Amino acid sequence: MILRNLDEGIGIALDSLRTNKLRSALTILGVVIGVATVMAMASIVEGVRTQIFNAMNTASPNTFYVVRFFSQTPLNPQHLPYEVRIRPPVNDRDAEAIRRMPEVEHAALWVQVFYRLEYQGVQTQTVLIYGADQRYMDVLGGTLLRGRFFAPGELDGEPVAVLEVESADRLFGRIDPIGKRIRIGGVAMTVIGLYQRPENMFEPPGQQIGAIIPFETARRNYPYDETNGLFISIKPHEGIPVTRAKDLSIAALRRARSLRPGMPNTFDIITQDQILDTISSLTSAFFGVMVALSSVALLVGGIGVMAIMMVSVTDRTREIGLRKAMGATRQEILWQFLVEAATLTLLGGLIGIVVGLLVGVVLKQLMDMQSGVPLWSALMATVVSILIGLVFGLYPANRAARMDPVEALRHE
Amino acid sequence: MSDRVIHVEELVREYPMGGEKVLALRGLTLSIRRNEYVAIMGPSGSGKSTLMNLLGCLDTPSGGDYWLNGQEVSRLTDDALARVRNKEIGFVFQTFNLLPRASALHNVELPLVYAGVGSRERRERAVRALTRVGLQNRMHHRPNELSGGQRQRVAIARALVNEPSLLLADEPTGNLDSTTSEEIMRVFSELHAQGQTIVVVTHEPSIAAHAERVVVLRDGKLDSDTRNRAAA
Ligand SMILES: Nc1ncnc2c1ncn2[C@@H]1O[C@H](COP(=O)(O)OP(=O)(O)OP(=O)(O)O)[C@@H](O)[C@H]1O
Ligand SMILES: [Mg+2]
Repeated sequence: MILRNLDEGIGIALDSLRTNKLRSALTILGVVIGVATVMAMASIVEGVRTQIFNAMNTASPNTFYVVRFFSQTPLNPQHLPYEVRIRPPVNDRDAEAIRRMPEVEHAALWVQVFYRLEYQGVQTQTVLIYGADQRYMDVLGGTLLRGRFFAPGELDGEPVAVLEVESADRLFGRIDPIGKRIRIGGVAMTVIGLYQRPENMFEPPGQQIGAIIPFETARRNYPYDETNGLFISIKPHEGIPVTRAKDLSIAALRRARSLRPGMPNTFDIITQDQILDTISSLTSAFFGVMVALSSVALLVGGIGVMAIMMVSVTDRTREIGLRKAMGATRQEILWQFLVEAATLTLLGGLIGIVVGLLVGVVLKQLMDMQSGVPLWSALMATVVSILIGLVFGLYPANRAARMDPVEALRHE
Repeated sequence: MSDRVIHVEELVREYPMGGEKVLALRGLTLSIRRNEYVAIMGPSGSGKSTLMNLLGCLDTPSGGDYWLNGQEVSRLTDDALARVRNKEIGFVFQTFNLLPRASALHNVELPLVYAGVGSRERRERAVRALTRVGLQNRMHHRPNELSGGQRQRVAIARALVNEPSLLLADEPTGNLDSTTSEEIMRVFSELHAQGQTIVVVTHEPSIAAHAERVVVLRDGKLDSDTRNRAAA
């Protein structure tokens, strides 16, 4: 009964679309904008997630960290809350305690600082500088393109740096950087190697790695943040599950810090899973906000559809009267106008999907991300746009359905 | 009984008009037999259109009864009336009321759409109906590509396509010149000769002369009901 006259309904819709091009275009504009926003966002969020996921899987899935205090947003070092202040910063002895465990392949105290790199007046943006040990690449992956990594003998504070290749390009262009003296945050260092980060490695904006220098070099030359910047990186042996390595590390640290049973830990452990969870809850929140914003666009679009459908119903009062005289029931008239509204919004939705995907592709291109087209969101958008037509078309369609045929036929 | 397509008894239709009531029909009794050709006349405001709307099941009476083909239809719901209109009634209007953007063929198919007829059969029957009114060469024209007389013939084809038991026409020649009016009336006479029951409202005695029976209304009541010798 309802599917029977779908062709008539769609035919009428396309007809009125053809005759009122501008009006129809304005009607569906809101839906186009709303759907395009959701699609673009979905495609970007999908891109970010794919990137993070790949990074976690390929770069260093088993590496985990010990920090003084884990919070999702960086803490202000000047105003640390009490529960942080009572904890000592992580230190060499902590790292040593973990390193001694047979299940652990490597553990070391590292530090992160942020500075610009400079060579003969050319500067990079602020980049992340790792103060690490010679096993950095075993723990976090990556490849050495040229030169060498620093040797154990240089760990006591030699001013040497392994430069990340993109920063090197920025500073040197075609010149060979090996052996050149650059300045990192104003301190002179000699470039000894060229490093490429692992493919798919996830770097949040503003956290691109610029260089790796020996830990002692970093500790001596730069002020660093003992809460947000200092950490122990731990890589368990092949075949040891992260959860086990984590439990053992906690035990080892508690022993090293002489914590009695019942006393709380005075450190936090961060695994990749936690980082993944944090980031994915952040992207979800971001996505949620975008969905809420585009719902507003969709709502406005829906109200537009309703207004235009009201006009359309009034315009076609006589036609409605005629259709009723020819035997159309209320339900059939209702259906006809619902199909018309849904056809309009579906069209808007399809245009919105295409526009949104294009915008998403361009943005991802700009942000150097890769990911597939999120099919579920295209399907969702299609369904949602049809629903908008049905919901917002209901009131005008119902008005048409309830018209008195005699009155309608007499309408001028 | 089975011979009566229409039987109305003491039919009353009143319209509320700002507190007062206008009595458009005040107790009308009338029967029309199968294959009768009836003209309804009367001065303006006498209730002709009101009666036609009731006979066509577009409207329900305030009082009295209406049997259409032996079925009491004066108290049916909207949707039940829509079904009755679809099956039993063919309408021809003074202003044609064609869908302007649809071809003659699609206009004629319209009642079949609501009868749930499949698209192929719909097309075949619409072609047949258009052929019956002599428009087989104009099937794909739109209303604005047709003359007034041709438009009205499309409307007649549309009224016939469901093979209704009753053809109702409210001033079908009101918008046509006298030559074209004669043409349309010839179509009606042919349909009548083929067995169609027809009720036509008109102001023109020359149009009424084509019918076999003339019913005259005055003030919502029957004024006269006479056989037309000339047409018989
Ligand atoms: N919807 C309405 N509301 C109020 N009064 C109405 C309505 N429709 C008709 N009437 C009144 O009912 C009476 C009969 O009207 P009707 O249209 O049936 O006359 P008619 O015989 O068809 O006239 P005409 O020859 O001018 O078409 C008139 O007095 C008219 O004003
Ligand atoms: Mg009238």
